[in-house]
Amino acid sequence: MEDKLKGFVNEHRDEFDVFEPRQELWQEICQEIPPLRKEVKVISFNYGERLKFSADFMFMRIAAAALLLLGCGLTFLAAKKSSSGSDGAMAVATATEAPALNTIAPEMIEVEAYYTSQINSKKSQLSNYDVKVLGLDEQQSIDRELMRLDSTYGQLKKQLYTTPNKDLVIDAMIQNLQIRIEVLNRQLEVLQKIERLQQNETTDTKHDETATIL
Amino acid sequence: MSHLETLTYQDENMHVVQRCREGDNRAQYELYKLYAKAMFNVSMRITNDYAEAEDVLQEAFISAFKNIHAYKGEASFGSWLKKIVVNAAINSIRKRKAELVPIEDRMAETVADEVYEDETEWQVEKVRRAIQKLPDGYRVVLSLYLLEGFDHAEIAEILGVTESTSKSQYCRARKKLLEILHEPAFAAYEV
Repeated sequence: MEDKLKGFVNEHRDEFDVFEPRQELWQEICQEIPPLRKEVKVISFNYGERLKFSADFMFMRIAAAALLLLGCGLTFLAAKKSSSGSDGAMAVATATEAPALNTIAPEMIEVEAYYTSQINSKKSQLSNYDVKVLGLDEQQSIDRELMRLDSTYGQLKKQLYTTPNKDLVIDAMIQNLQIRIEVLNRQLEVLQKIERLQQNETTDTKHDETATIL
Repeated sequence: MSHLETLTYQDENMHVVQRCREGDNRAQYELYKLYAKAMFNVSMRITNDYAEAEDVLQEAFISAFKNIHAYKGEASFGSWLKKIVVNAAINSIRKRKAELVPIEDRMAETVADEVYEDETEWQVEKVRRAIQKLPDGYRVVLSLYLLEGFDHAEIAEILGVTESTSKSQYCRARKKLLEILHEPAFAAYEV
């Protein structure tokens, strides 16, 4: 016996998936996944190099932290301003149903596409490095920050539909994307530096004498 | 020859899965993004409750990442994950003492023998809402069969019943669904 209902459902299968979990759910999940602790290879540098490197690395960490703080601050500011509506220039009528992004902020589609491709290319560059071998534990916290930025972005996008001041939210969204690229850039710089140091490691002993003279 | 075939078969997510095995957070997030929505809908259909469906999703993903070494790549990662979600969802509704199968004849009585069936009247949103209105036992079997793509042998194994029970339960659920679709209040509902 032919099951017409089964046929109907198969034909429209994708349309049946109408629900989405909350954006924040990933945060809750990733906190409960036990981190896999593997042995971390220690990179040994000669003394002069190590001192220079660790100072530099500390700077990078601070720079990354400052950027993240800035991002949070801006997001908070945007949220506060848009809720108080102090600028109040535009009163966008809130439609009963959420309009698509292309009607409310058509320019964002291009912006989003541009930054997404940038972010993805940085990420793929980063994935070429084996962070475990390079002895970096920070990767996890950077990933968390990126995910947090991603979920903040989702919230901003939702706000876009209801906010009286669209431009402010759009600015915050763009900032959010730029910060992600900045974080990835810094991470790339750090990894490139480590790689260079590792490559030089073998020849370093020879250069040591000349280095002290210089 | 057959050995060669198994070697050439590769799940599209193989590389991401491998990175997950090594404990890579980014790879875990990639898989989550890829499957969260589909799996959440699987969970929603079984539990029929948003908060419960989220708890199930969370539990299932955590368990999947913890036990990712058990995934040997004999099926696609998606179907492996779906099994975990389905089991977690069923355990969850069993905890609230839902009677899954069989809903015996007391329900069958209310189901007419002949149900008018006109597929030209079906609309996705109406059918979806009608499925939500089914009692737990009917909704689960019907969803597993119609939407999650399990056959009756698999459903029997998942629910711990016989294959013929799964078949008859599906038939009753299907009739009940068509009935709901023809309830005057429901048929008049415009999507």
